[in-house]
Amino acid sequence: MMLGASILVRCDNYAVKTAIETWLTGLSLDAPAGLVLDVVITDDALPEVTDFVFEQPDVRFARGAGGRGLIVVWMEAPAVAALLAADTTASIRLSGEAARQMDLCIRTFMMSVLIVLLRRVGWYHLHAATAIDPQGRGWLIAGNAHAGKSTTAALLAANGWRVGADDAAWLARRDHRVVVHTPRAPIALREDGHRLLARDGGVQLTDRGKVGYTPEDLGGVWTPLVDPEIVIFTAVGTSRTSAHPLDRRSALAELVRWSAWVVLEPDLAQAHLDVLTSLTRQTRTFRVTLGRDLFAHPNRLIELTT
Amino acid sequence: MSERYVRHPDLRLADVEGDGVVLHLGTRRYFSMTESGLILMQALETPQAVSDLVGLLLEQYEVTPEQAEISVRQFIDTCRTADLLLPEGK
Repeated sequence: MMLGASILVRCDNYAVKTAIETWLTGLSLDAPAGLVLDVVITDDALPEVTDFVFEQPDVRFARGAGGRGLIVVWMEAPAVAALLAADTTASIRLSGEAARQMDLCIRTFMMSVLIVLLRRVGWYHLHAATAIDPQGRGWLIAGNAHAGKSTTAALLAANGWRVGADDAAWLARRDHRVVVHTPRAPIALREDGHRLLARDGGVQLTDRGKVGYTPEDLGGVWTPLVDPEIVIFTAVGTSRTSAHPLDRRSALAELVRWSAWVVLEPDLAQAHLDVLTSLTRQTRTFRVTLGRDLFAHPNRLIELTT
Repeated sequence: MSERYVRHPDLRLADVEGDGVVLHLGTRRYFSMTESGLILMQALETPQAVSDLVGLLLEQYEVTPEQAEISVRQFIDTCRTADLLLPEGK
């Protein structure tokens, strides 16, 4: 079966259905079977949703009827997804206005719906880049949008590491380990990261103001799965790269921060927190300040964490 | 009859090397707890009186009943301030 095709898309609108299927196929996520995106395009007024319990840029979340399940609302144009508790189908209603912006809709709203849907089958999203070093050890690089994840992922790909995504990882249990599934997505560099990497090529991601590279563009190899042994929480600094070990409680606090979906849907929260806790047990964790010296010595990350 | 307490339904607990971590889904706040705090919080899944919690500490640790009661009352005060505990029935 083609990776990414395990999520079924139902939609009468051929263009919208194709856009979503193309996106899912491109992600190449080997997701468990049985997930459905049931999409209806409608010009009827969508229900007004208030009392949001969680907010992301452009997307907000409210509890469903009776406090269970979840409603996902796009703020850019009328679009709502309803997910009943424990159900693996997302019932999505897109306005014509939303359907005319499918690229943006997919990148923000549909991605949020996918994150919520995958959580129901035990895949827990984390804002992190993933990599496998030349010794075969799995790495997670977590942090906010300006923490240097993408630039580090690109740098590592250019130096022989296998790299997954630069900002999306799904934690899941496999046997007695927590593994990380990563989507096929461009490593998206801002101007400063692009300049520091000093590489030609890449694809202009004009609507995001970034330049996208695949790991292969940089001489690396994409990896869909990582068994993490090292987790680093990064920030960009002005001095040399440094690393400080974290105790497990501090590491768990960081993981909760970068997997903030843990607070959604109380029925799923304990299992989500348990996976994050298990990850702290199987990995060594560090707070890393990234310096420009890393560009000359990318394997300094290994030296600092060994 | 003495008042009984129960932990807030929005709490989720994690055991990290014997110490406790509490996540409050409602406030999205994250708390660290000692091993004894975690033991009390686990027991508080069902309503407990101060005397129940004191008995629990006496079973687990070599402390006097007076010391245990002081610890339990401090724990309850701290947790109630942080909205982690509720009086039974509230």
